[in-house]
Amino acid sequence: MSLVRARPNTFLVILCMLIALPIATRNPVSTDSAALLGIYSLLALSVGLSYGQAGVLTMSQGAFASLGGYAAAIATTKFGVPPFLDLLPAVALPALVAYAVARLVTRLPPLATALLTLSIGSVIAIAIRSAEGITGGYMGLAGIPGLGPIRTPPAYAWLAWAMVAFTVLLYENLVCSAYGRALNVLRHDHARATADGVDPPSLISAAFAISAAIAGAAGWLYAHYISFISPESLDTHLSITALLMAVIGGAEFVLGPILGALVLDSLTRLLPAAELQGFYYGAVLIAILLLARRGLLGLVQAAFARLRTTGDAATETAVTLSAEGSRP
Amino acid sequence: MLTFAEYLLRGTLAGAVYALLAAPMSMLFATVRTIDFAIGGYALAAAAVAASIDGPQGLVLALATAAACAGLMALIFVALKRFGCDDGIVYALASFGLATAIASVVLWSWGAKSFVRDSNAVFWSIGGIRVAQQGLFNLGVATAVVVALHLVLQHTSLGRMMRASAVNAVGASLAAVPVQAIQTGVYIVGGLLGGLAGLLVLYSAGLDFSAPLGLTLSGFGAAILFGIGSPVRCLFGGIAMGIAQAMASGYFSEAVSAMTPFLFIMVVLSVGRSGAEALAGGRP
Repeated sequence: MSLVRARPNTFLVILCMLIALPIATRNPVSTDSAALLGIYSLLALSVGLSYGQAGVLTMSQGAFASLGGYAAAIATTKFGVPPFLDLLPAVALPALVAYAVARLVTRLPPLATALLTLSIGSVIAIAIRSAEGITGGYMGLAGIPGLGPIRTPPAYAWLAWAMVAFTVLLYENLVCSAYGRALNVLRHDHARATADGVDPPSLISAAFAISAAIAGAAGWLYAHYISFISPESLDTHLSITALLMAVIGGAEFVLGPILGALVLDSLTRLLPAAELQGFYYGAVLIAILLLARRGLLGLVQAAFARLRTTGDAATETAVTLSAEGSRP
Repeated sequence: MLTFAEYLLRGTLAGAVYALLAAPMSMLFATVRTIDFAIGGYALAAAAVAASIDGPQGLVLALATAAACAGLMALIFVALKRFGCDDGIVYALASFGLATAIASVVLWSWGAKSFVRDSNAVFWSIGGIRVAQQGLFNLGVATAVVVALHLVLQHTSLGRMMRASAVNAVGASLAAVPVQAIQTGVYIVGGLLGGLAGLLVLYSAGLDFSAPLGLTLSGFGAAILFGIGSPVRCLFGGIAMGIAQAMASGYFSEAVSAMTPFLFIMVVLSVGRSGAEALAGGRP
């Protein structure tokens, strides 16, 4: 009961997971979708943390996921590092790169940040493609071993969503902490945050590094699940998709990115041709920016706020009327 | 020495196209304080149409298609403003959505094939260096467009109105300058120039559905290199980027050459010099 009150988002994710996953894992197609959706949700959450909380509009999460995936693949296939232990480099490498990059990003406004992160993502992608001796170049790396006891697709789907729930828990803890509140102030007013004793470069860098670490974890899981990774696996297109998911669901809300991932993935299945995916993503993004700039959860929140205001107004009118009726 | 001169010349010719992508970005940033990520998409749309329809009518239709796509972006911009949005990042995100949609429609309609047209490759020899006639044509077109834009901006009443809108939109509108019409017009002119760049690329190296993002970023790199405020600087920025790419390709590797535009952007934005202060200014 305390989890429901203290961490409602985590509780909601766990509840949905326990209800939906046993149904989803009944057939191979939906099991695969559930596992991949979990990975995309992790990526979208990493954008949510970076953009929604720290105000760093990132377009390099695909590259960070790729770094994580390659770190895992190289550690296991070339150095024989046992699976699960390779999670450490898969998370640490993108986090380190992101921390270094964040030092450049911290003073830039969102537009410049977006372009800078997009450029960094492209540089990482080109570097991976050209380092043939280590990464396998365009051919990629195959034969990445499974994760010990986790061998079947349903097990991967459960692991993916367990990681999503764990990430949401950490995310919610961060948002509720003093650091989360400081980030919130920082997103709106640097000067105010500095006056309050916050060190903007350190805080933004840390948040960006954590978001890259989450993306790296998503890449790690992807590499082990698919057992193959190439430059096309987690490319710039994925960075853009993750950003769209976060913006569409509501980047500033903890569950917004997951909702965005679910909505985009569900509606993509209705498309007549896979080639039209980009058209559909673009159209949905434009529609969301026009109609609900804070994302779908922002729309829901605004609807609740309107209902509450209407309810309060009705109560106020009733109280006034009863007070007037009770006058002699 | 001949090799160095060859890289210099070839880079200059290749970089001219970047100037055509950079100039509208510079104008748009000056007037709306945003970036149109769909510029590369307009180039792709124009190239796809011109590759499918032969003759001058194909070229006209290609430019019309690019202008129509940019017109759609202008409509989205106006609609966002009507809905109370005054945030450059939201306009940029919307243009990102449009760029994604254009690339997807091209992929769906034309497939993943490359669009390239034979320009009846005629080569000239300049000081012993073999140069494609198309490259010189590209440089000529880019220079003419940039000079024309410069003249319009600096020596016409339209240019004065554009500059007034850029410096102080509220003040300009109080002085009866149609700020929104100018901003919309800049989007459409940007589409035309993006389309023109697409046609030049079509007759030079060619492009496919995945090209828009790279073209946009190359144009952006050229726009900010010497300062984002002037079309002439965009030309020099484009040429500098082309030369850097040619040198990187010749002396290092293709990978370093491909990284060059992105490295330019990273260095200029992180250093925050050369007139990029407006873009790389502080957070709120």
